[in-house]
Amino acid sequence: MNLAHFPGVWRGGEFEQAIHATVATGHAALDRELPGGGWPMGTLSEVLHEGVGIGEVGFLAGALARASEGDRLVAWINAPHVPYAPALAQAGVPLDRCLVIRPQSAEDALWSAEQALKSGACGAALVWLQAVKNQYAWLRRLQMAAEAGRAMAVFFRPVADEALSTPAHLRVVVMRNADALRIRIPKRRGPPLTVPVTIGSKPGTDHVFQLCKIKTGDRPRFSHDRIERAPRKNVV
Amino acid sequence: MLWVALELPSLPLQIAERAGASGDAWVISEGPAQRPTVACANEAARQAGIREGQAVAAAKALAGELKVLERDPSAEIAALQRLAAWAGQFTPMVNVEAQGIVLEVASTLRLFSGHAQLTAAILRGVRELGFHAAVGVAPTPLAARIIARAEARGLQVRSCVDLRELRTRLADLPLFLFDWPGETLARLTDLGILRVKDILELPREGLARRFGPAIVLSLERLLGNVSDPREPYVPPPTFRSRIELPAEAEGVQALLFPLRRMLAEFEGCARGRGAGAQQLLLTLEHGRKVRTRLALEFASPEREADFILAIAREKLGRLKLAAPTIALSLRADALLPFVPRNAAWLPGSQERALERERLVERLAARLGRDRVFGIALADDHRPEKSWKPGTDPSFSHAGQKGQISPGGSPLGDRIQRPVWLLQRPQRLITGDGHPSMQGTLDLLAGPERIESGWWDGEEVSRDYYVASNPHGETFWIYREHRDPAAWYLHGVFS
Repeated sequence: MNLAHFPGVWRGGEFEQAIHATVATGHAALDRELPGGGWPMGTLSEVLHEGVGIGEVGFLAGALARASEGDRLVAWINAPHVPYAPALAQAGVPLDRCLVIRPQSAEDALWSAEQALKSGACGAALVWLQAVKNQYAWLRRLQMAAEAGRAMAVFFRPVADEALSTPAHLRVVVMRNADALRIRIPKRRGPPLTVPVTIGSKPGTDHVFQLCKIKTGDRPRFSHDRIERAPRKNVV
Repeated sequence: MLWVALELPSLPLQIAERAGASGDAWVISEGPAQRPTVACANEAARQAGIREGQAVAAAKALAGELKVLERDPSAEIAALQRLAAWAGQFTPMVNVEAQGIVLEVASTLRLFSGHAQLTAAILRGVRELGFHAAVGVAPTPLAARIIARAEARGLQVRSCVDLRELRTRLADLPLFLFDWPGETLARLTDLGILRVKDILELPREGLARRFGPAIVLSLERLLGNVSDPREPYVPPPTFRSRIELPAEAEGVQALLFPLRRMLAEFEGCARGRGAGAQQLLLTLEHGRKVRTRLALEFASPEREADFILAIAREKLGRLKLAAPTIALSLRADALLPFVPRNAAWLPGSQERALERERLVERLAARLGRDRVFGIALADDHRPEKSWKPGTDPSFSHAGQKGQISPGGSPLGDRIQRPVWLLQRPQRLITGDGHPSMQGTLDLLAGPERIESGWWDGEEVSRDYYVASNPHGETFWIYREHRDPAAWYLHGVFS
């Protein structure tokens, strides 16, 4: 009798077998490392990042587009700046499904997130928040709300919070490394991923204009005959 | 014909206790100011030995801290009229009587699957409004009322649907249930005529001669031999309701319970008219003419009590009340046609649209309308003008499939735009001619010349670059064409 052959016996090194709804992120390398082959729906997940603008939202664009399928909203709650419509449209996130919520206090932000997730009208809710009191309890509430609304809840927080425990089922640390995005997964439904996944290109470099040489204090020259097309890279 | 009568025993007391009962003993007084008498007494007062008809002075001697409220007949009529308007959701033929209402239900019986279900639904609704009523069902309105009154006094009478059975059902009921003059009733009692069967055995001509033709007419109407025409109550095209609180209420939580009752009343009235309201005015009265007004506004006409209560709760939660509240009133000045939402067998786009709408309403109620918005593209090359706050995603395109995702910006997908755009460009520190933002910025791509808007006075003439700092953060920066030394941060890639 081999215990490992019993259904329901789980070994520490494997992904959880139970089926959870997921949406593909569009990055094959990342999807392979996520249990269920994609970003989880109906649960809270965390993205830890240092600084704004390293691509912490961009790599989720594919998942957001899929989460908004079936007329569901993508709620941007307390985002650091206004999400810029042309960029979202480029990334394939349907604009008419985006709902920007700018609460005035942390309580309002968490309340809005809970309402949005629970309502079932949102496919995804992205939440940015500084540390609040009873953070764990609030995150637990968001987790419950995401389960109830079968929505994808993503909580963005600084890398320093990795030491704090979380009720989220997925925790991802995003780091910028030269041209690529390195993603470490310290918590998932399965063993933690220690070797980071590398995806994508540096945002913004996929540009039709090549950078003109700039001399200090000099005006850049704009000779259009010099324009060369840069090779297209992964647009996300 | 089938009639349902609702009898509201001790109505003044019910009106006073609607906003929530308190444990104190209290009575409603009526009669001349010199010698008021007790019209109704609540449970606590009854336990102290106070009975109806006693002088108020005697009642005060029995219970130490007795609260006395004066009876207000106009409030009673208004309450019954609102109840009749509320009952308009069950049948168009509702008639207001003393201490109750009668409803003709034969025409709507099928819709509510039988009189048992219908009366159960009516009673459930009445309880939600904060009233308790006794119900009588009979083929004539008078008989229905008599049965309801008997029920209110604790006499068990089975409801009667068949006109032929009516006589036997009513036979044992006492005559004091009728609205006859007290003198007539006293004389009948003296003659030993106590029950309905006794009076029905008597010859009609003799009765008419002795007690007047009105008595005979009401007996004939009771049995359905003579028609009993009634004018249906037509509610006004607006809604008004007011509840006085039993005690001064501090804070907002205590207001939700009476508010729920008023909203249930509103829902019934609106349902009866096939209407909803886009704006409801809630007024909190604090005494000495101090009032707090609160407008509940919706994108489309609404009437569901639970939904409106959820919105009101958020709005009330934001209020700082200066004084305790003593009364609540709710007003809808315009009732608009309500488009009922059909329930789908499988949840589909309609439910989604409704959920979206409800979510946006709820968020806007707490955060404010300008803090919840959608985003849309605008046809302009200037970055700050190439997006605009869109209409709420809930109201536009609801249910329009295929129009979602226009599939790219007017730029095409060659040029990348940052996910975050700063509301106002931020001047960067330049050291040695190089812009820096937490470290010297390294230009990755550019320039992209954006020169536009000379026609509306907000001209821009900028060269945009993509730049990154040593931490790996990528920015969208520009410098003015006319002032190349000044660098600005305008967007953050993400």
